Amino acid sequence: MATFTASSLSFTSLSISLDQNKGLARGSVSLPAKAKSFGALTLRSAPMRFRVSCAAKPETVEKVCEIVKKQLALPATTEVSGDSKFAALGADSLDTVEIVMGLEEEFGISVEEESAQTIATVQDAADLIEKLCEKKE
Amino acid sequence: MRMQCLDTKFFTSTSLVPMQLPSRMETHLWYVKPNEVKSEQLLNKYLEFLPKSEKEHVFSMRGDELRKGALLARALVRTTIARYQINQVSPRSLKFRKNIHGKPEVDWQQIEDWHPQQLHFNISHTESLVACGVTTHNPIGIDIEEKERKIKHSISSFAKRYFSQQEVQLLSSISDPEIQRQEFIKLWTLKEAYVKALGRGFSGSPFKTFTIRSAAASKESIHLSESSSFENSDIVVESLEDSTNHTGDWQFALLELAGSHYAAICSRKDCANIGSHPMKIGVWRTIPLVEDEYVSGTNSVIAVGGLM
Repeated sequence: MATFTASSLSFTSLSISLDQNKGLARGSVSLPAKAKSFGALTLRSAPMRFRVSCAAKPETVEKVCEIVKKQLALPATTEVSGDSKFAALGADSLDTVEIVMGLEEEFGISVEEESAQTIATVQDAADLIEKLCEKKE
Repeated sequence: MRMQCLDTKFFTSTSLVPMQLPSRMETHLWYVKPNEVKSEQLLNKYLEFLPKSEKEHVFSMRGDELRKGALLARALVRTTIARYQINQVSPRSLKFRKNIHGKPEVDWQQIEDWHPQQLHFNISHTESLVACGVTTHNPIGIDIEEKERKIKHSISSFAKRYFSQQEVQLLSSISDPEIQRQEFIKLWTLKEAYVKALGRGFSGSPFKTFTIRSAAASKESIHLSESSSFENSDIVVESLEDSTNHTGDWQFALLELAGSHYAAICSRKDCANIGSHPMKIGVWRTIPLVEDEYVSGTNSVIAVGGLM
């Protein structure tokens, strides 16, 4: 009996001019859509990012990455960064609400459904956390 | 011994068996199991159905399994909808858009010569199964979850955070942790299916603002009988917010699919369905372009609730 196995899904026979290693939307200028105040414009030394109001500290981003990796049971070697999209890492809706819950527990914040719905990347989550932490103080 | 040859000439869009649209009272459910799709040739054929933006999305997924899942989801949606068209239509030619809340729908206007149909669809996928539900005239939402799915938080803390008070009470009244987990997963899929059917997004219908329960369980009685809470009973939704939510308009069905998943289906009751008849569901297991198997009435489809 003939068997067909695709040991690696590389779609090599199809010609498409996509660089598969390039993630989407790298180096994007990110302005929170609902930013109400434009505080001091801080030009950070971190490349490719201009943050208008609250900028997430690298430690916050790091913590979010940890929580995401844990929730999705990703191998420690998986590269997760601010750009990483939850969905692209394999998070479904149940994972996403668990991640939000994990972030609430870790940072002592409360995330509204409306805000939770807008979180697509690690950076989105980190920015939201910082915003909510600031509100608390 | 018969050699099974999957020749390229088998993989054309005319290999899709045409289907008649479900009647107003019916729901069709199509599902694919990724582990049944092994041919790289076939996967490439599916890839050809996708426009550039959808291909980019598939390749943005991290890892082969996730890419395959994303590809199968798009291929399933496109081939499923293409089947129901009166004239021979390529899955490639379908265009999609999102409603103002982000719910995907077919953009009929983009195709010339088509008559806009009252076709509604919704998809859901897990690592091991991808499903697409189809109805006519009435919006539909579906959610699929692996029966064995375990969450990282305790059921109790998760429910307290996201579910309604009554639902929390019901779950906490279950002493057996495994049964509690199963009931939790069933409730999750039902709530997801409802929100997806409403099409207003997660924030448009926050989980805490409505309760889904069996019609048999009353508000006062929070104790479960021996059997599952949804078995042999209609499933209903109650809004805890305002009474203009027309919760009586929605019907539910809960199935055990392929022995491995819970599938919740929510659709708006048809206005012609005065007698409040249970949902009539036809289920097909498919490998698009290769084979379709009608599985209703087999072990692959077991009614759990809402289908007495």
